[in-house]
Amino acid sequence: MASFEFELTRNITIGQYLPTGSLIHRLDPRIKLLAFTILVIAMAICHTYVGNFIALAFACYLFYISRIPISYGLSGVKPAIPFILVLAVLQLLFYSEIASGGTVFVDYGFILITSDSIRLVIVSALRFIEIIFLSSVLTLSTSTTQITHGIESLLDPLKHVKFPVHEFALIITIAIRFVPTFAMEMEKMMKAQASRGAEFGTGAWWRIIQRTKDVFPIIIPLFNVAMARAEDLVLAMEARCYTPGSERSIYAKYKAKSTDYAALLFCILFAVLLLAFPFPY
Amino acid sequence: MERGLTTRKIVIAGVLGAVAILLGVTRLGFIPVPTAAGNATIMHIPAIIGGVMQGPFVGLVIGLIFGVSSFLDATIPLFKDPLVAILPRLFIGVTAYLSYVSLRRVNEYAAIGMAGFVGAFTNTLLVLTMAVIRGYIAPGVAVTIALTNGIPEAIVSVIITLAVVVAWKKLDHRGNRKSKISGEM
Repeated sequence: MASFEFELTRNITIGQYLPTGSLIHRLDPRIKLLAFTILVIAMAICHTYVGNFIALAFACYLFYISRIPISYGLSGVKPAIPFILVLAVLQLLFYSEIASGGTVFVDYGFILITSDSIRLVIVSALRFIEIIFLSSVLTLSTSTTQITHGIESLLDPLKHVKFPVHEFALIITIAIRFVPTFAMEMEKMMKAQASRGAEFGTGAWWRIIQRTKDVFPIIIPLFNVAMARAEDLVLAMEARCYTPGSERSIYAKYKAKSTDYAALLFCILFAVLLLAFPFPY
Repeated sequence: MERGLTTRKIVIAGVLGAVAILLGVTRLGFIPVPTAAGNATIMHIPAIIGGVMQGPFVGLVIGLIFGVSSFLDATIPLFKDPLVAILPRLFIGVTAYLSYVSLRRVNEYAAIGMAGFVGAFTNTLLVLTMAVIRGYIAPGVAVTIALTNGIPEAIVSVIITLAVVVAWKKLDHRGNRKSKISGEM
């Protein structure tokens, strides 16, 4: 356990990218982000059984056309299964106050199970799996650079209302860039503290205060290291005359093709279908 | 403080955003409290610190990064809903900043501690409210979670915010490592 906990960099999946060169990979990142947003909103609102099963099938189909093994999506679902089960039981038993409509199946003391509360449990589990699949396809088929460029150019119209689009994209780039660096710093600090006799993750789980206190000698230096790095970066950027808000040209320019528009149109139609079609269940 | 975005604000928002992501993916940002909502979290602290040090916009952006990363990384269905995972997090840094500014004239340290408390409280309150509205948990369960998770979160948040912000404010006197161009706090 101990040896595993020190290797923080191994667990970081941010920026994991699987280049298979499929149709999905070649789509314009702006289109992908837009389509992703539309689909997530549609899935979050859709509350019918049939609708959610269709959405799940669609998410699986996306894995197929992007030539990404579906095991990548399943590995995101696996750690969540215990939570899904616990939440399902809680929703089933304690949710009667709000979802009391429909047929009553069990009504025993405070326990009230209705067809509405069962629907709630199944639909929220399905919704969860759909969104995990969808976000896996997006991040596995789009590199982080593409995502930040995509966000920057999508937000471009906001420049007219004085929203700092370029600066915003820069913030995201800095954030993603520094995650592995800080992971390494944190590993170093944990090893340093451990070599002086600190214990991590060895206390019993019910000793909450003890385990919380264990975190302080890592978190506080981490913030201090982060701030010191930030000051260095500020100095370096200002030494190179970086000026926020000045006009800049863009290195990567995206031009949407007809396939991109077709994909977007398809996703919009799919979202409309999910929300507007009167599914019987 | 200077108006508009300075280089320092951009960089600090980015760097603290990185810390927020890191605390999430390494699971170090969780305090193991055995409740329905899983663990208590300290991942909102970067947003509070950003809000206190560099103002509401920086706090808001870090809150956004925290929200999006918790949304993408969620293992609980509750946080796979953008309305629960992202929207409430935007306000953490903003309320922390407001409480810091309103108390700063009274006592600097009390103001920083208060910002830590208010920021954590904002997170607990808004996330649970959204969770109840969206129908993931019943109101009764939400109150229990507010007590079991909210209180430890608030205490830890006050301690860490105080320690980090005070240390950062002193950085200047010791090492003189701060750039002078984008202005002092």
